[in-house]
Amino acid sequence: MVNNSTVDAAIHTEDLRVERGGRAVLRGLSFDVPRGQVTGLLGPSGCGKSTLMRAIVGVQARCTGVVEVLGQSAGSAALRHRVGYVTQAPSVYPDLSIRQNLRFFAAVLGADQGDVDDAIAKVDLVDYADDLVSRLSGGQEARVSLAVALLGEPELLVLDEPTVGLDPVLRRDLWALFHRLADSGVTVLVSSHVMDEADRCERLLLMRDGVIIADDTPQLLRSSTGADDIEGAFLTLVDLDREASR
Amino acid sequence: MTTVNAVLASTRAELLRLRKWPALWVMTGAWLLLNVMFVYVFNYLSYTTGSTTPRGEGIPKEALLAEMLPAAAPISAVQGLPMFGGAIMMILGALAIGSGYGWGTWKTVFTQGPSRLATTAGSLVALVLAIVAIVALTFVLDLGLSTLVAATESQTIVWPGLGDIAPALGGGVLIASMWMLGGALIGTLAKGPALGVGLGLVWVLAVENLLRGVANLLGGMDVVTDHLPGTAAGSLAGGLGAGGGTDGTPGVFTTLDTASASWLLVAYLVVFAGITAVVVRRRDLA
Repeated sequence: MVNNSTVDAAIHTEDLRVERGGRAVLRGLSFDVPRGQVTGLLGPSGCGKSTLMRAIVGVQARCTGVVEVLGQSAGSAALRHRVGYVTQAPSVYPDLSIRQNLRFFAAVLGADQGDVDDAIAKVDLVDYADDLVSRLSGGQEARVSLAVALLGEPELLVLDEPTVGLDPVLRRDLWALFHRLADSGVTVLVSSHVMDEADRCERLLLMRDGVIIADDTPQLLRSSTGADDIEGAFLTLVDLDREASR
Repeated sequence: MTTVNAVLASTRAELLRLRKWPALWVMTGAWLLLNVMFVYVFNYLSYTTGSTTPRGEGIPKEALLAEMLPAAAPISAVQGLPMFGGAIMMILGALAIGSGYGWGTWKTVFTQGPSRLATTAGSLVALVLAIVAIVALTFVLDLGLSTLVAATESQTIVWPGLGDIAPALGGGVLIASMWMLGGALIGTLAKGPALGVGLGLVWVLAVENLLRGVANLLGGMDVVTDHLPGTAAGSLAGGLGAGGGTDGTPGVFTTLDTASASWLLVAYLVVFAGITAVVVRRRDLA
């Protein structure tokens, strides 16, 4: 059953909980991610970002609560061609070239083979298109995974730490790509443990210990906490939470 | 996308990948090399020098030559599949399916592509088609080499009839597909190729033979060992005309008749594919 009040949100969760090994990884998350924006999911390593992303794309087991994506239940068959997902580890065949990988995934996903070269160009790998993935750097491999996610023009991109390990120029270029995609109507959810990347997002979900501790724009987060940057805002929110729990 | 279209799309994609996948060509090359060495090179050296073949002593020269002539090419192409070829096909299945877990590619396909069952079915169909091509290639190579032997030894060339070729190659595809699907199942259960390859090789090359040895000592074990995958594969090859026994090809038996062996192989094939499908469908990807 889809709640009409949340149809405009690309992602809607209510009391989302995940337990693993008897430990609560996500503890009752309720939030909306607006369509057509770049939303950052920021928090330290191990806070539950990847688990939340898996719940959103519908591959996380032992998940309770509501997770709706583009108006459908997360993981439903109708969403498969509408959601692109890039995992933290590159998820492409190392013994095939970039172009061969993209041709393979385009064939599986039913995407136009003509999209292959476009996707390679978008992630700036044209010069390496015929190189084996195993010969690429870690950052280049991550961009091949991103190119796969871009095939078939998904409406929602879920990107798990896509800029980790990239040099500043590439990171800047990738963020520019995310914003171009958002401008064309794609919703982009990007996770990162690097707080410096917060200002590149239009909206932020700050996460700690399986809980969303803030859901706002970078500017409003800074002004509401009186911090100079998002790292300062994050620390202020953590301190306030500690004081409240004493 | 309908289920049939999804399976076809996945089959096309997997064929595209397999064609460009170095591991497939390495394994195909290894199998062809083994086939050529054991069917032609060693036998021809033994025939021309009178020395002992790797299979043992006491094989008449005429019998050795007959095995290397074009009429025997269909069975020559498949007689190694129950054991050594089967091990290679098992590795192929384990690598092709299991590697996707290590590389994370299944996660991408299962979250963005068609249903898990359709994509898995497409991959398995593509692997069976690759096996059809490998068996056909082996036959063509063996036919060429056997023609060369016939010409060199001034023998009258008797081509194999369609009635010999079709059952032999069909049986070869059935044997190789069964082992490949066994490898795919272990690769799926282990979520990686390494354990699948290791366990598969130990099973094909050692465990079944050990169990047969135990069965010779303990009464009642025959019921089990007579219905193992290797016994079924070896019995089909034996039924098609491959020479088994102590002087014959390793892994070739006459334990079961051809029909029983074929049906047992089909049963294993269905069970392996079925369990793979259930595991893929129900298991958490996270």
